[in-house]
Amino acid sequence: MKRSFRRIGLADVAILCLLGGVIAGVVAFAREFRAPLAEAVRIDLRFGALPRYALFSLSRGVTALVISYLFALGFGWAAAKSRAAERLLLPLLDILQSIPVLGFLPGLVLGLMSLFPTRNVGLELAAILMIFTAQAWNLALSFYSSLKSLPVPLRDACQVAGWRASRTFWELEVPAAAQGLVWNGMLSMAGGWFFLMVNEAFRLGGRDYRLPGIGSYMSVALDQGNVPAMALAIFAMVAMIVCLDQLLWRPLVVWVEKFRLDESGGGPAPSSWVLEFLRRARLPRRAAMLQLRAYRSARQAARPLERPFRAVGPVILRAPRRAFEHPIARKVGAGLLAAAIAALGALGAWRLWLLVGRLGWAEWGELLAAAALTFSRVMGAVFLSTAWALPAGVVIGRSPRLARALQPVIQVVASFPAPMLFPLVILLFERIGIGLGIGAVALMVLAGQWYILFNVISAVAAIPQQLKDATAAFRLRRLARWRVLYLPAAFPALVTGWVTAAGGAWNGSIVAEYIDAGGALRTTRGLGSLISDATAHANFPLLAGGIALMSLIVVGWNRVVWHSMMEWARSRFGLVQ
Amino acid sequence: MTPGSLLLEAQHVTQRFRLPNGQVLEALRDVSLAVHEHEVVALVGPSGCGKSTLLRLFAGLARPAEGTVLYRGQRLDGVLGAAAMVFQSFALLPWLTVAENVAMGLEARGVDGAARRDAVARAVNLVGLDGFEQAYPKELSGGMKQRVGFARALAVAPEILLMDEPFGALDPLTTENLRSQVVDLWRDPATGVNTLVIVTHSVEEAVFLAGRIVVFGSNPGHVREELENSLPYPRQERSPEFEAMVDRLHAILTATLLPETAPAAPQRLVPFPRVHVSEVTGLLDHLLTRPDGKGPVFELAEDLGVDYDRMSAVVRGAEQLGWVNTPGEIVQLTQAGRDVMAMDDDARKDATRTRLAKQPLFGRLLAMLKEEGTVEDEEVLADLTIYFPFIPAQSLFDTIIEWGRYAELLDHDADAARLALLGWEGAAEARVE
Repeated sequence: MKRSFRRIGLADVAILCLLGGVIAGVVAFAREFRAPLAEAVRIDLRFGALPRYALFSLSRGVTALVISYLFALGFGWAAAKSRAAERLLLPLLDILQSIPVLGFLPGLVLGLMSLFPTRNVGLELAAILMIFTAQAWNLALSFYSSLKSLPVPLRDACQVAGWRASRTFWELEVPAAAQGLVWNGMLSMAGGWFFLMVNEAFRLGGRDYRLPGIGSYMSVALDQGNVPAMALAIFAMVAMIVCLDQLLWRPLVVWVEKFRLDESGGGPAPSSWVLEFLRRARLPRRAAMLQLRAYRSARQAARPLERPFRAVGPVILRAPRRAFEHPIARKVGAGLLAAAIAALGALGAWRLWLLVGRLGWAEWGELLAAAALTFSRVMGAVFLSTAWALPAGVVIGRSPRLARALQPVIQVVASFPAPMLFPLVILLFERIGIGLGIGAVALMVLAGQWYILFNVISAVAAIPQQLKDATAAFRLRRLARWRVLYLPAAFPALVTGWVTAAGGAWNGSIVAEYIDAGGALRTTRGLGSLISDATAHANFPLLAGGIALMSLIVVGWNRVVWHSMMEWARSRFGLVQ
Repeated sequence: MTPGSLLLEAQHVTQRFRLPNGQVLEALRDVSLAVHEHEVVALVGPSGCGKSTLLRLFAGLARPAEGTVLYRGQRLDGVLGAAAMVFQSFALLPWLTVAENVAMGLEARGVDGAARRDAVARAVNLVGLDGFEQAYPKELSGGMKQRVGFARALAVAPEILLMDEPFGALDPLTTENLRSQVVDLWRDPATGVNTLVIVTHSVEEAVFLAGRIVVFGSNPGHVREELENSLPYPRQERSPEFEAMVDRLHAILTATLLPETAPAAPQRLVPFPRVHVSEVTGLLDHLLTRPDGKGPVFELAEDLGVDYDRMSAVVRGAEQLGWVNTPGEIVQLTQAGRDVMAMDDDARKDATRTRLAKQPLFGRLLAMLKEEGTVEDEEVLADLTIYFPFIPAQSLFDTIIEWGRYAELLDHDADAARLALLGWEGAAEARVE
C-alpha cells in the first residue's frame, strides 16, 4: 500500500474542534444532569447563555434519537423475524404512533421524580422519553419494512456463506435499511422538537417544572413578554436545526447512497459539502487505524478471559435456543409470554378504569362536547392545509429545478417546532380580533401542513416523464392536466399526508387550545385545552379520560376512515401497474 | 469422471408454501433424488415445478415439510457447509467490493489473514476478474457480476456447487462464454469442486453441462424422468450426437409440457393456461408464415425468442381453443386457426367467444353467471383454489378476465370486485352447438 504523509490540514483542525466540543458538551450535560432539583430552574435570558441552552436541548434530542434507533432495530427485527411478534407489534406500533403522547407526560414525570427525588435525573429522563416517543415509531416501521422487502437471494447468499445471525444483521440487514433509517431519522428529529417547549417547561398541579434548554428559555421569555429574548430563542432554534441539517443529516444522506439496493439511481445524487470535506481529511483514516490497533490490543488483553467464556458462553447462549427448538417448550414459552402480556394489559385497563370511573356523567358530557369541537377544528385544519399545500406541492413537485431549490429550505422550516410560534401567532390574532376558538385551527395548520406538502411534492416528482409528455403531446389544457394527471397521481400520497397531518393537529390541539403567553392564560373549549387544564390542576381522572377519549377517536378514525380511503386510493390511483 | 459415492439425497421430500392470499401451494410432492460425487446434475422443467425449491433444500436453506435430505448419509440440519451457491440475480452485496464479496464465506470457515487474501486472489483469478478486486458491483456488467458470484462460490473450495439458473439474467454471448468456463472449472481438480447441481431453463445448457438430466413436472412439482448423458467433455454443440441428445430431451419435455389429451371425461375442468391473448394470436401469426403452418415447439420457442416453457403454455392455450393440434412435439395450425386469422377483429372476437364458451372452466363460470347475473371475485377465487390447488388462483383469475373481456363474454368491475355477463347470444349459440 502506498503511504503518503501529508501535513494536518484545516479539515483536521475542524474535526478536532468538533470532537472537543462534543466532549465539553457531554461533560456539561452530565454535570447539569446531577444538579440537585431546584424547583423551577432559573433561566438566564442573556444572549450569552443561549449556546449552553441550545447544547442542552440538542443533547436531549440526540440522546433520544440514539435510544430511538436502538429501539427501532430491536423492534423491527423482532417483528420481521417472528410471525407471532409481528401480529402483536404492528398494531401496537400503529396505535402508539397515533395517540397523543403529550398526555402521558405528567404521569411519566411524577413516576420518574419519585424514583429520583433529589436529582434532576427524573425530569431529564422524562423529557428524553417524551422526545423518544415522538421519534421512535416511524424508525421502527421503516426498519421493519426494509427487512421484509429484502430480496431472498441476498439472505440465502449470507446463509450459504455461513454468516452468523449477528453478522447478517450488521452487514446485510442494517446496511440494506440504512437509507430508510437515515431519512426517517431526519423526520424523527424534526418530530422530536415539536413539544420542546412543553417538555422543558410545564406546570403540573401548580408546580413549575423546568429544565434548562431553548424550550424553557422561550417559555420564560413568553412569560415575561420579553420580545428580544423570544426572537433570540427562535433564532437559536433555527440555527440549531440548520447546523444539524448541514453537519449531520446531509452528510449521512449522501453517505448512505452507498447502501442503495436497486442500482437504478433515480435523479441526481445528493451532495454534501461536509462529507466532501471529511473525505478529504486525513485524520479520520488515522483515527480508524488507531481504533483498529486499540481493538487489537484490547483483544489481546482479553485473551486470558476468553477461554472461560468460551466454555460457558455456548451453554448460556445456546441452551435457551436449544430448549426453544423443542415444540412443546416453544408452545409453553409463547403461552407464558402471551399470558404475561394479557395480564399486563388487563392490569393497565383496570387501573385506567378505576381512574376514569371517578368521572361523573356531567364530566363525560363535557369531554364529548369538547371532543366534537376539537374534531371539527382538526378537520378544518386538514382542509385548510390541503387548500394551500396541495397546489403548492404540485407546482413544486412538477419542476425538478424548483423542487431541488426549495426542498432543503422547506425541510428546515418544517423542522421548526410550531408550538414555539403559537403564542406569537395568537398575540397577532388578538390584535386583529380573532379569538382562540378560530385561531386554534390556524395553529393546528402550523402543526400539520408540512406532512401534506412533503407527500404531495414527492408523489408529483415521481410521476414518470412519459406521462407528463403524453399530456403535453395531446395538448391538454392546464386545468385538464391537473384533473387528469397531477391530482390523481398525488392522491394516494395526499391521503398519507392527511393521516399524519390529522395526527399532528390532534397532538397540537393540546398546546393550541391552551396558551399561556405574556402572563395571561388563554383557553378555548376543546379536548386539547381540557387535557392541558387537567394537567395544570393535577386532575388525573379527567386527564386520563381525555387522553383515553382522544386516543380512541384518533385510532378509530385512522382504522375506519383513513385506512379504507388509503386502500381505495392505492388501488385506484397507484402508479405501479 | 465417473460418478462416485452417494453425496446428496432427497428422500420423499414434500414442500409447501403459503401465498400472501392464504392459499397453500404444494411446490414439491414426494420427490426423491440422489446426487453422486463427480456428477453434474441438471434440473429442468416448467416454471413452478419446484426445481429451485429442491436446490434450496439441498443447500439447507429450507427444511422440507415432509421427507428428509441427507448429505453423505447424515440428515441435513442447517446450511450445508460443503456446498456453495450461485444465484440467478447474483445476490451480491452492493456495499461490498468485489474482493469483500468474494471473501463472504471464508471467515465462517475459519480462513483468516493471509490465507483469506490468497483464497480471494485465487478465486478472482479463476474467473478472470483480476484487476477488479476493489470495484463495487454496480460498476460491473451483468456477466462480470456473475463472475463475482462464481468467484464467491469457488473461494470456499466447495465440494458441491449449487447453481440456480446462473445464466438466466445474462445475454447469449456472455452465457456461451461462462458456460464453457463452468465445465473447465469442474474438470480442473485445483478448484476442489467435484459435483455440480444446476437448475436451468435451457435444454442446450442442460445437455452441454450435465451428465444426468432430471426432468420435473409441475402442479405439484415431481420428478418425471431422468436422462443419462454420456457425451464426452468438452461437448461440441454442433455435433450430431449433441443434437440427438437435445432432441431426446425435447421429446421428454414435450411429453411433460404438452401431454396427449386423454379423450375421456370431456366435462373435467382443465385450467386455462396463463397466457395473454396477444401471445396466442402472435403464435398463430408466426405459424402462418411457416410452410404447412407447422413447426416443432422448441424451434418455435427459439424463433420467437421465448423460453420453451412459456411457448408450450401458449401452445396449450391455442390448442384448448382448437386453433392448433399438437401431434408429438409438432405444433400444427388447424383449419379453424387459419380461419380465425383471416377474420377481421369483430369476427375474431365472435369466434373466440364461441370457442371459450366450450372450454369447461369458462363454461362453468358462464353457467354461474347466468344463474346469478353477477358473481363476486371472492367466490370465483375460492372456487379456483379448490379446483386447482397447485396454481396461484389470482393469476389464473386475471387470465380468465383478460380472455373474457377480449371475447366480450364477461365484464369485471374492479372497484366492486364483481364479475358480470356480457354477450349473451354468443354464449347461447355455443351451448346450442
